[in-house]
Amino acid sequence: MRPMVLKARRSRLIPPLACLMLAGCAPLQGPLSTFILDSDSARDAYHLFRYTFIWDVIIMLTVLVPLVLALFVLTPKKSGGAGHEAEGHAGSTRWLEAAWTITPALILISMAVPSIRLTFQYQPKAPPAGALRVRAIGHQWWWEFQYPEFHLTVADELHIPAGRAVYFDLESVDVLHGFWAPELGGKRDTIPGHVNHLTYTPDKPGEYFGECTQFCGLSHANMRFRIFVDTPEKFAAWVKQQQASPATGQGPNPKIEAGAAVFAAAPCVACHTIEGVSKGYIGPNLSHIGSHQTLAGSILPNTPENMTKWIHNPDALKPGAQMPALGLDPVETSDLVAYLESLK
Amino acid sequence: MAVAIPQEAVRGRENYLREGGLLSWLITIDHKRIGVLYGLTSLGFMGLAGIEALLMRIQLAQPDNHFLSADVYNQFFTMHGTTMIFLVIMPLGLGFFGNVAMPLQIGARDVAFPRLNALSYWIFLFGALFMYSSFLFGGGPDAGWFGYANLTERFFTPGTRVDFWAIGLIILGFSSILGSLNFFVTIVNMRAPGMTFMRMPIFVWNILVASILVLVAFPPLTVGLIFLVMDRFIGTHFYSTVAGATPILWQHLFWIFGHPEVYILALPAFGIISETIPCFSRKPLFGYAAMAYATALIGFISYGVWGHHMFASGMGPIADAAFSLSTMIIAIPTGIKVYSWVATTWGGDFVKNTSFYYALAFVIQFTIGGLTGVMHAQPAMDLQQNGSYFIVAHFHYVIGGGSLFAFLSGIYYWWPKMTGKMMDERLGKLNFWLICIGFNMTFFPMHILGLGGMPRRVYTYGAGFHWAFWNMFETVGAFVMGVGILVFVIAIIQSLMSAETAVADPWDGRTLEWSIPSPPPIYNFAEIPHVHSKDAFWEMKHGRAQESRQPAAQPEHGAGGHGIHMPAPSLFPILLAAGLALVGIGAIAWLRITFVGVLIVYLAIIGMGFEYGTYGEHPSKERGDDAFPLDSRKVGMWTFIGSESLFFASLIGTYMVYKGRDLVGPTAKEILEIPLTSFSTFVLLMSSLLMVLALAAFERGNIRAGRNWLFGTAGLGCVFLGGQAYEFTKFFREGVTLQHNLFGQTFYTLVGFHGLHVLLGVIWLLTLAFASFKGMVPKKRALAVEFGGLYWHFVDIVWIVIFSLIYLMDKVTGA
Repeated sequence: MRPMVLKARRSRLIPPLACLMLAGCAPLQGPLSTFILDSDSARDAYHLFRYTFIWDVIIMLTVLVPLVLALFVLTPKKSGGAGHEAEGHAGSTRWLEAAWTITPALILISMAVPSIRLTFQYQPKAPPAGALRVRAIGHQWWWEFQYPEFHLTVADELHIPAGRAVYFDLESVDVLHGFWAPELGGKRDTIPGHVNHLTYTPDKPGEYFGECTQFCGLSHANMRFRIFVDTPEKFAAWVKQQQASPATGQGPNPKIEAGAAVFAAAPCVACHTIEGVSKGYIGPNLSHIGSHQTLAGSILPNTPENMTKWIHNPDALKPGAQMPALGLDPVETSDLVAYLESLK
Repeated sequence: MAVAIPQEAVRGRENYLREGGLLSWLITIDHKRIGVLYGLTSLGFMGLAGIEALLMRIQLAQPDNHFLSADVYNQFFTMHGTTMIFLVIMPLGLGFFGNVAMPLQIGARDVAFPRLNALSYWIFLFGALFMYSSFLFGGGPDAGWFGYANLTERFFTPGTRVDFWAIGLIILGFSSILGSLNFFVTIVNMRAPGMTFMRMPIFVWNILVASILVLVAFPPLTVGLIFLVMDRFIGTHFYSTVAGATPILWQHLFWIFGHPEVYILALPAFGIISETIPCFSRKPLFGYAAMAYATALIGFISYGVWGHHMFASGMGPIADAAFSLSTMIIAIPTGIKVYSWVATTWGGDFVKNTSFYYALAFVIQFTIGGLTGVMHAQPAMDLQQNGSYFIVAHFHYVIGGGSLFAFLSGIYYWWPKMTGKMMDERLGKLNFWLICIGFNMTFFPMHILGLGGMPRRVYTYGAGFHWAFWNMFETVGAFVMGVGILVFVIAIIQSLMSAETAVADPWDGRTLEWSIPSPPPIYNFAEIPHVHSKDAFWEMKHGRAQESRQPAAQPEHGAGGHGIHMPAPSLFPILLAAGLALVGIGAIAWLRITFVGVLIVYLAIIGMGFEYGTYGEHPSKERGDDAFPLDSRKVGMWTFIGSESLFFASLIGTYMVYKGRDLVGPTAKEILEIPLTSFSTFVLLMSSLLMVLALAAFERGNIRAGRNWLFGTAGLGCVFLGGQAYEFTKFFREGVTLQHNLFGQTFYTLVGFHGLHVLLGVIWLLTLAFASFKGMVPKKRALAVEFGGLYWHFVDIVWIVIFSLIYLMDKVTGA
């Protein structure tokens, strides 16, 4: 009878436990997991983690097991009241103390060797041969990406080819930011007045999330970005498309033309670049904004509704945003959105 | 068989808690009362920080939540961190436990400088209130507890929030340095006869090393904060890139302070655990000597590991590797401590009470925090964890699950001694389980969230990131922990209201504090005990060597506490601290208030200096034995000078770092004049000679000659200052202002702070000279002149270093 009862109980426990496991492991399945290893850097960091973690568990057991034994298993001869110390102890034991000094030292050496090798490996003196060079520039609160090789500037959404090393020059125009796309590797700060570097080689195509990891003011939490790793062919096509002047769709469209007029007349042009229209440098480059997946530091999906909300009141979506509410009327806004979304 | 242990309750007037009315707490200089004040204040601020934490947890419970705005959230996480570190854990560890337990453990009647002790507390309280008053004037500080430059520059964070933060931390720094100087001298100089360093309770060892760390770690922070305040108030560019400076300077100055600070928070906790585990296992501490050495080693190494906070800042692989190795090395002495605690429990006969529960939870939780620390020591891995919730989990396990749990263990342990009451065990177990379960529910999942990419300091996160489940779980855990803290508060109140009184030695303790009544009389020990071994009280009670526990010759005024002279209460500490707070308020509100504050500080110092007619009477002098060849005040003065040297070292270091990075001239090479400065250097050196003559005259009792030499010394000091004023105006005319270039700001700051020290020295010497007119500096007070002299010589030596490094070196290398 008894095993059956146990079995029944266990089976009832399985669904909630399974749910807990699933929910519990969800953060490790993405989209910002350090356990998803899609570049050399992420893989190497994870292997260091795994090695250290195994030792950590073993060391934890060497603390826990004696503690549990001493507390619950070992039954000391009752000393019987005040003034009597428990028996079976020594004030100190030389060999034991030597053991727990030397053994951790050896374990630490076994961690330090691969760890320091990787420290040097991922901070090379010069960019790896054939690396794609990208300037990643932190702004409050969005990312600018420049490709010197292609004379290209984009915002918030970075495209890189799979299988080719990428070498970042990390800079900032205002305060410190941190550049981190966990599934592609470790982070590094962008520091005004400095150029920091970061390099890794993504393995395979995919969409990767990134975030700012150094507190940078009011909307630090709203400073996200995406890295699109493309196949080399797709990447080449993307570069070509970005280099071309923005296409606004087939044939004349009065709504889009009205939107273009709104853009040119409103203060937009002071801050934003649209290839062939304006040359503003304070805000993100909007030349191909219609082809973007996300808006406003990758915090919103790029839909006409979100774009409308953003233009209506940027501060509501991203507190402290430098872009002001322009006070456009609904028709103007809808024309402007149509225009911007047409910039593919 | 055993010696008589005083079990009787302390008579009303002698119970330190009862004596005098409520107002007497304002002027108290009794270390036990000051300890209680520290404890109450810290627990109050812990309540505030806890409320901030719970509100943040509500905001994070769901993705895209709108419970708190970004602005409020940023203020809360900044002040939660700042509060827990500077206003809760540090003052609890050093101010509270250091005061409540340390003097009793070393068999002292009080700390070395009781009035200084009160001063530390009042500066702490006013500094804390000053910082929190920021919420009344446009919101709390919001740049993070380590306030990375250049976000803290006025351009990026206008308003007064960061001003309150920076000036508040400078004020709190004074409190920490004075308090630790006091503890350092107390432990070095005031131990009971026979208590050698290797017989000290291990808690005292930990307080000693933590105090040293405060003395060496706070000067760099103070310098960093002074730069920040200058940047914000007078437009220098120490951290902005405009003039070629770098915000990374702040990170170095901050973490040179910041990592020793971690051990300042942890060492008192290690000490407490090293008392409670042996006591409740009924065994001596395993490996006492190794524990003492490990403590010292941790303190020493902790000063050389700060770079591991900066792996993401791009220091380069060589620096990364060096800091990585030094950080890993610190794991070895820490491991020795953990294993020694475990070995202490082996074969123990346990008293499974609340204090012991907290101690065991500490060992496990601290070990978890330590092991993740080994991960952060490896740069390649740390770059995947730094700045994420994995780090948040790590330091909460070390400081929350570590230090805070140890403090709870310590409160349960020393509560009967402090209050004379017992705490209820059922409520104790209840608050332990609630806090322990709540703590682990809140912070363990943060490891998973961190590995899942959640960055710290975000007020919101997206629904698609899969972080919602654990965040909700953590919020529930945080409230469980909050309820646990409430139960703890109820347990405290219940204990205070209960009629049950504690005996002197409820735990069959091992150290001297259990040999005196609970609560202790104001003079602590009717007779100063003589110590013949470690675990001194245990040996007295149960030791095998009968003769060793016979008290040695009694001091004549011993028995019953009659005739024990304790220093009288003083109004000046609270007055001086209030003056210092006024200086801070004036800096932000209205500069004239600052001068009022400075005046109050000056008058209070004079008042304190000449308060007692029996100057030189001192607890350590009363003992009638010659075990303490050094005068405590002398040790204190030297310690202060040691700490000051690090202040100047940080200023000089900054000058050196920024040398050659100027975008515009003129710089040192073009502008500095050797002949003029050589002359003023000569003048300053001569003044040291006069100072020696002055002291000699006072020691001979020739007050008149001494006074004249003092005037001479101060006069030469004024000549030096005049030379400096001339030099500064000349440079100013040539366009080198504080804001002009890096040379200007570093030169004026370094030389200016030195000049300020000379000015203070001149005021000090003149004060002594004028006091001597009134007969306030008689021969027996020659020591007062000696301190002025020590300070004066120190300032001169600093000048020689500055002159060589800044004036001569450039000319030599430039030639």
